[in-house]
Amino acid sequence: MTRRVVITGVGMVTPLGRCVESTWEGVCAGRSGVGPVTRFDASSLPVTFAAEAVNVEPQPEDQGDLKLRLAATALREALAQSGSVAGARTGVCLGSEIGRPSLETLAQAMVDNAAPDPEELALMHPAAPTRLVAAIAGAEGPLSTVSTACTSSSQAVGEGLLRIRRGDADAMIVGGVDVLVDAIMITGFAKLGALSERNADPRRASRPFDADRDGFVLGEGAGILILESAERAEARGATVLAELSGFGCSCNAYRITDSPPDGRGAHQSMAAALSDAGLQPEQIGYINAHGTSTPMNDPSEARGIQRTFPPSVRVSSTKSSMGHLVAACGAVEAILCVLAIRDQRLPPTINLERPDPACALNHIANRAVDCEIEHAMTNAFGFGGSNGSLVVSKHA
Amino acid sequence: MHDVVVTGMGLCTALGDAPFEPSASAVAEQSELEGLRHTTAAVIERVELRAWLKRRKDRKLMARPAQLALAAAGPALHGSSSERDGMGLYVGVGREPGDDGESAPALIAAQVGGRLDEAAVAGPCRDLYPPLLPLKTLPNMALAHISIHLDVRGENGAWCGGAAAGLTALRAAVWSIREGRCDTALVVAADTWVSAGGVRDLLRIANGASIDAPGEAGVALLLESEAHASARGARAMARVATERAGAPIRQLSDHHAALGDCHAADALLAVAMSIGEGQSHCWVQAQEGSQPAVGVAVAVEGGVACYPREGTGGDRG
Repeated sequence: MTRRVVITGVGMVTPLGRCVESTWEGVCAGRSGVGPVTRFDASSLPVTFAAEAVNVEPQPEDQGDLKLRLAATALREALAQSGSVAGARTGVCLGSEIGRPSLETLAQAMVDNAAPDPEELALMHPAAPTRLVAAIAGAEGPLSTVSTACTSSSQAVGEGLLRIRRGDADAMIVGGVDVLVDAIMITGFAKLGALSERNADPRRASRPFDADRDGFVLGEGAGILILESAERAEARGATVLAELSGFGCSCNAYRITDSPPDGRGAHQSMAAALSDAGLQPEQIGYINAHGTSTPMNDPSEARGIQRTFPPSVRVSSTKSSMGHLVAACGAVEAILCVLAIRDQRLPPTINLERPDPACALNHIANRAVDCEIEHAMTNAFGFGGSNGSLVVSKHA
Repeated sequence: MHDVVVTGMGLCTALGDAPFEPSASAVAEQSELEGLRHTTAAVIERVELRAWLKRRKDRKLMARPAQLALAAAGPALHGSSSERDGMGLYVGVGREPGDDGESAPALIAAQVGGRLDEAAVAGPCRDLYPPLLPLKTLPNMALAHISIHLDVRGENGAWCGGAAAGLTALRAAVWSIREGRCDTALVVAADTWVSAGGVRDLLRIANGASIDAPGEAGVALLLESEAHASARGARAMARVATERAGAPIRQLSDHHAALGDCHAADALLAVAMSIGEGQSHCWVQAQEGSQPAVGVAVAVEGGVACYPREGTGGDRG
């Protein structure tokens, strides 16, 4: 018999807040975390705004690195809720991207005819947050780092689910972190035509499914979930927030930067997650869409949803409020599904003023709605064509 | 639970595309490493991709690890079912590859009079920096290019974790087949260290200890449930499992004298070589940091080599 997996702790840092509740309050209130870049002078870049994570206190172990700081902060919030899960039967799986030296660092290294500082390079390894989280939490079980761009943390959460089901671990600390707001990434994504260039009106720039959308908003943040087998959580008297009931993923096999217009890969991922959860499409009450606000992604995902679900399923993209957290988005948006089920409240897609007919869905537009739901799905679709879908369910 | 067998294998190493004799070695002096503590490396002279690319110009979008991965994945799928919608794709990757000098003009433009100039960084340096370079070198690009060029559409993942990355990918694939999440899965590992930056990183990882010559490799294994392989008449080269069951350990460094240190590709190379050599039963393991080792048991069918030792021809199942 398959082991059931429950969520007993959540933590996050996002452009909307330094904890879960402040982010949730901001998302449901329809606030935007997007604004002009503050961390460096972006005035000469084609895009001058982003969704920077809110400032958080330095963490003792972060070595001055923002990615580690965000991951450690989110972890501590999650552990404060779940209680300690330290031990040999607890593993860690995070989604993360490679860090990169700034242009200044690279250029200075060339001037000095020297390689960048080895310590700095070590911090940039995608596995650096995973190792730190394991050390802080005292997790001595399996350790892995998934790096599939925007799908990273969705797949990391899925891997945690599968590892507990398989008996590899009894608890898994899962999630993701990303900090990509820098000159190189903004320039690169802008030249691809992927970023919104609404420089004069940043708060209205992220507008998934809207006819006037022109690209995504680069964001940053971290989301951590504590997963446990249901029997372990029950045995130690932990408060169960929700059940993680399904995971599916797929590859588009299409193009590096685009999604197939027929939504094939998205449909395959969502159908696999439904099957894994043992649910019928009509049982899903809410979909937190990947919804990046790019001209190509949104209709492809909408087509995938149309192929998989009845027209009545309610859909929103919280990237409208907090931008695209890239490797962290899957975990953060899975947590938002936990909260939607907890509060029976569905967060909106803001800036959805003229829904694109090519994205005909039952949108939750601009205002949160109260609605009874048992199951929610969240999608994450990555640059390069990896897709991941998770199902979160009310704990019975 | 389904038994899992290996029915296809692909290699892209400095000694060619087939398992090699233990006495062979591709480690040689490399002029580009002059001035470093280690000046030898095992370099793949030519990565052949023409048979696998849908569009030849796409090669320009591929960093070295993605090229190595695709060069290994193509042959591993040779003779497999053309139905790849549900085929899993599990990839272990290493450090970010170097940029082959593509960023040099931009970085030179950041200098004025031999010194770093802030205005030049924000101006000509930024303008000249290759905009696609950060995207081309994302860790999941090997997975993306294999999926696109070989039409693999099923469950997937790309793991970064040093030497354990390939085994983490392999174990995930074995479990997925056992649980019926997919019938077939392509497992790939690729890594390259044959550059000045790679040597410096190897030295850093070694933390003062001596290092083997740097190497590079792509390795791919096609896994299937035994029932699926049997139904399509595919020959099983070996059986893989996630339990050790007393199997003797095969060291990851066994092939370093021949191929150099291929790091994230080492563990999958060890699995492939044990199959190629006909090693009847072994356990390949690797560690991520101080965590418990992850491993895979390999049992070669019949205790004989199932893969040609020389040349590129032969039955690949």
